Amino acid sequence: MRKSMLFMMSVLVVLSLILGACGTATPITVIETVEVVKEGKTVIETVEVIKTVEVSVEVTATPIPREEAPLVLGTFPREQTLILGELTGRVGTPSNFNEWVGWKSRDRGMQQLANEPLWSIDFATGEIIPGLASGDPIYNADFTQVTIPLRQGVAWSDGEPFTSADVVYTVETLIAKEGFNAHNFMADNVAKVSALDDSTVVFDLKQANSRFHTTFLDRWGCTWIMPKHIFETIEDPITFEFNPFVGTGPYKLNSYDPNGFWTAWEKRADWDKSPTGILYGEPKPQYIVYQAFANEGAKILAQLTHQLDEVDLSAEGLKAALAQGKSIRAYQAGYPWVVNNDPALTGLTFNTATPPYDNVDVRWALLLAIDIAEYEGQAVDGAGTLSPVHIPSLGAYPKDYIAPMETWLSDFTLDLGNGETFKPYDTDAPQRIVEYAKGRGYVVSDNPAAQDQAFGLGWYKYSPETAEKLLVKNGFSKNADGQWLLPDKSVWRIEVLSRTDTSHLSFKNAAAAVQQWKQFGIDAVQVPSDNSSELAYVGDFDVSGEWPAQEPWGAGADLYRVLDFYNSAYIESLGSITTGHTSRWSSSEMDAVIQQLRETDPSNTEEVIAKGIEGLKILVQQMPGIPTFGYIGFVTYDETYWTNWPTAENPYSQPYVHWGPFKYTTPFLETVGG
Amino acid sequence: MAFIKGYLIPRLIQYILVIFLGLTAVFIIPRLTPTDPVNRTIAQLRSMGSYLDPASMNAFIDDLNELYGLKGSPLEQYGAFWKRLFRGDFGVSFFQFPTPVNQLIKTALPWTLGMLLMTTIIAWIFGNIIGGLAGYFSRSKWSRVIDFITMIIRPIPYYIFAFALLILLAYIIPIFPVSGGTDIGRQFALSLSYLLDVLRHAFLPALSLVLIGSAVWFQTMKLVVQNVNAEDFVQYAKFGGLRDRRIASKYVIRNAMLPQITSLALSLGQIFSGALITEIVYSYPGLGMLLYNAIITGDYNLIMGITALSIVGITTAILLLDLLYPLFDPRVRFV
Repeated sequence: MRKSMLFMMSVLVVLSLILGACGTATPITVIETVEVVKEGKTVIETVEVIKTVEVSVEVTATPIPREEAPLVLGTFPREQTLILGELTGRVGTPSNFNEWVGWKSRDRGMQQLANEPLWSIDFATGEIIPGLASGDPIYNADFTQVTIPLRQGVAWSDGEPFTSADVVYTVETLIAKEGFNAHNFMADNVAKVSALDDSTVVFDLKQANSRFHTTFLDRWGCTWIMPKHIFETIEDPITFEFNPFVGTGPYKLNSYDPNGFWTAWEKRADWDKSPTGILYGEPKPQYIVYQAFANEGAKILAQLTHQLDEVDLSAEGLKAALAQGKSIRAYQAGYPWVVNNDPALTGLTFNTATPPYDNVDVRWALLLAIDIAEYEGQAVDGAGTLSPVHIPSLGAYPKDYIAPMETWLSDFTLDLGNGETFKPYDTDAPQRIVEYAKGRGYVVSDNPAAQDQAFGLGWYKYSPETAEKLLVKNGFSKNADGQWLLPDKSVWRIEVLSRTDTSHLSFKNAAAAVQQWKQFGIDAVQVPSDNSSELAYVGDFDVSGEWPAQEPWGAGADLYRVLDFYNSAYIESLGSITTGHTSRWSSSEMDAVIQQLRETDPSNTEEVIAKGIEGLKILVQQMPGIPTFGYIGFVTYDETYWTNWPTAENPYSQPYVHWGPFKYTTPFLETVGG
Repeated sequence: MAFIKGYLIPRLIQYILVIFLGLTAVFIIPRLTPTDPVNRTIAQLRSMGSYLDPASMNAFIDDLNELYGLKGSPLEQYGAFWKRLFRGDFGVSFFQFPTPVNQLIKTALPWTLGMLLMTTIIAWIFGNIIGGLAGYFSRSKWSRVIDFITMIIRPIPYYIFAFALLILLAYIIPIFPVSGGTDIGRQFALSLSYLLDVLRHAFLPALSLVLIGSAVWFQTMKLVVQNVNAEDFVQYAKFGGLRDRRIASKYVIRNAMLPQITSLALSLGQIFSGALITEIVYSYPGLGMLLYNAIITGDYNLIMGITALSIVGITTAILLLDLLYPLFDPRVRFV
């Protein structure tokens, strides 16, 4: 509570910085064709992108005069140093880099700079980038054995060569010792791991598992490889601090703050022996510092004074930074400014283990009581991309899944009782968001393809009268004041659990839902809690602003990661932490789809998509959570010192500095001085 | 001898009893909260993007209970707690596993002690001297001006006040750093440059605490002095023709200091809880954030470590105050 009050005050202070951002908006949206630098130095292709220019916020690539900025930041020469905000905040264990045990703030630079996974996901390009692996995993016919080819010529940052012995040692150590995050997974899955030669490793699995290799696929974390020559000398690898950190990435540890506010990394002299160097060339910054701030105002002040090159902010903070900083830009040059291709879907989750949310009619009634244009306007000023299904509408997902499902979605029918039916799908829903945005003074492209990309392909109708019929069908009623009553005639009160951070999309979804359901006549209240994640996992909530589905990989067509969380095997009783999705929903039909996916080669795209669509249809029918819009990142770049950031005009890589593939961006950054 | 038997020994027993009960309460209370450290750890790992295989989750929960020492009955855990405590060991932090609680406190404590000890004492001295004089010369123009300024400063929420100082002196007039306890890249060293760097980073948070703290001490001291000023013995001294300076220092302020000394002792005892908002505004290291995070994450060992310090700090401060009080107030006698 105290934290939320502090945050509210912080927002007030940030709002005071906005001032100039509140002028009349006259943005221009255009479609243009630009050259995009993709993987490697030489691959150049032409893609169509949306370029939006918001005139009210003076965004310019022209840097401020250099002499206004400090030449040295701390002890580092500023022109050679990249300063980045640390997403998860201050490091609680500054001296401990043992990321195989518990949470070690790996976004302090471990996953983005100093470590290389076997593979990484780049959600912006849709590619899976082989790092320590040199190619795809090769499974045998029944998925009980997988062979992984490893990259040759890679060395650890202390000069020792990286070989298959490191991979074998890592897996054997994880199996041998309880306390590692991946111990149980490895112990349950791996019968034997062996090295065929220095650059090939073979896993014999205890049972068929066609997705075993994904444990090494970095999507904001994975199973990392240990340097055998260091860990084999350690008695207790659980309490080992692994300080100084030794990795295979292009950067090595320079220094860190014992209080956890910053970690500084230095480019390796032998950067060409890292997969990043081998694949993309020399990283440009000599030093990279990840810095944490305890409040958003300080982040903005640091960026305004050119002491912070990139940072994640709140919606309000982004507008304040753009309004005040002449050299600051966002991912998109104009409305809606934000990163809207993040592979996560936001929305609402029902606790289907608790009545009345165990009733699918109730869940659908609550969905139909939402006017999505009003909802998204309140939540994110219309900036999100709608998705009618339980995956975000980004990358290849609309083409692979949402568009092919549209006929089925249009035909999908709800039984309202008494022989009445209703088709809820609405292809015009994104248009309502467009109208909202136009009503706010933003100029939005009239190009249908651009609108589809920005606002989604469709959502559901706003139909309170249909919602009412569904509820009446199930014994709900209204009192004289128009307030909804449960079948037992008590007042229906919905508590919507959310995080306390008002900028978090969990909070924003919950606040918007409460508003909508109040208008519908339900006594809905938002319950922000610092403990919201745990409360959601133990099932102590009615509805929550937690993601309505597990996030997909963000690359490739496989939805196993999303659907397996609804596996009935993971359902726990209320009060115990659930190991699946927090909705605690499952069904035998979904179990069957999951089983079929397990038996399908993930590289068999056609088959994977067919099974994925089956799973998504079941989720739409059952609606254990309401998908609303894709995750939005409020990112700002200060271009005083560094340019050529991945942006909407030039999306050559994923845009976050906290994701692992940021290491593959570093060779493409350019210093302003040249 | 009579003092030792009649006062000191019973007082020391009371002191030990208060600490024992306080620490026992600190052991029990976090376990009554709905926050489960194991669940919280898993929730954190998952919310931070870690993919924990659902099929292996129950075994992982077991592992964590084992590692955190949460497997025995509450009574067994209570026994283990006292055993560790007598060795000066609070165990490992759950949320920052496997970092020992002692190490976390050792890193944060010097910043909190340095900042709060200095600012509390400076604000106390400054506020009381000015407040005392302003109370005695309450009709003077300067007294009214200072009173007016403190009336403006004191109601401002500290967060806003501290942030305004940050904007003023780190952005508009950029002479102090925006955040942190030291420069980026600066490592601890016994050198003048390190000391100056620490002082430069401490200046803004210290200034905010001193200004707000002084305003509080000023107002309370001024009111107390004005009350003492109206006492018969002060009036008698004035009628006796004593000089104002002597009346102010020997008759009024000395008496008015007594409640202020008590408050100072309590304030010093409380500094072990840290200065949460100062740490948030200035991204300054210290115990405040450590304790706050420990509470919301159910990190029992860390909560116990920090609050044990606070309990010992406050009870010791009160004990010392009781023992030293005759020095300040000759009317107090133990025998």
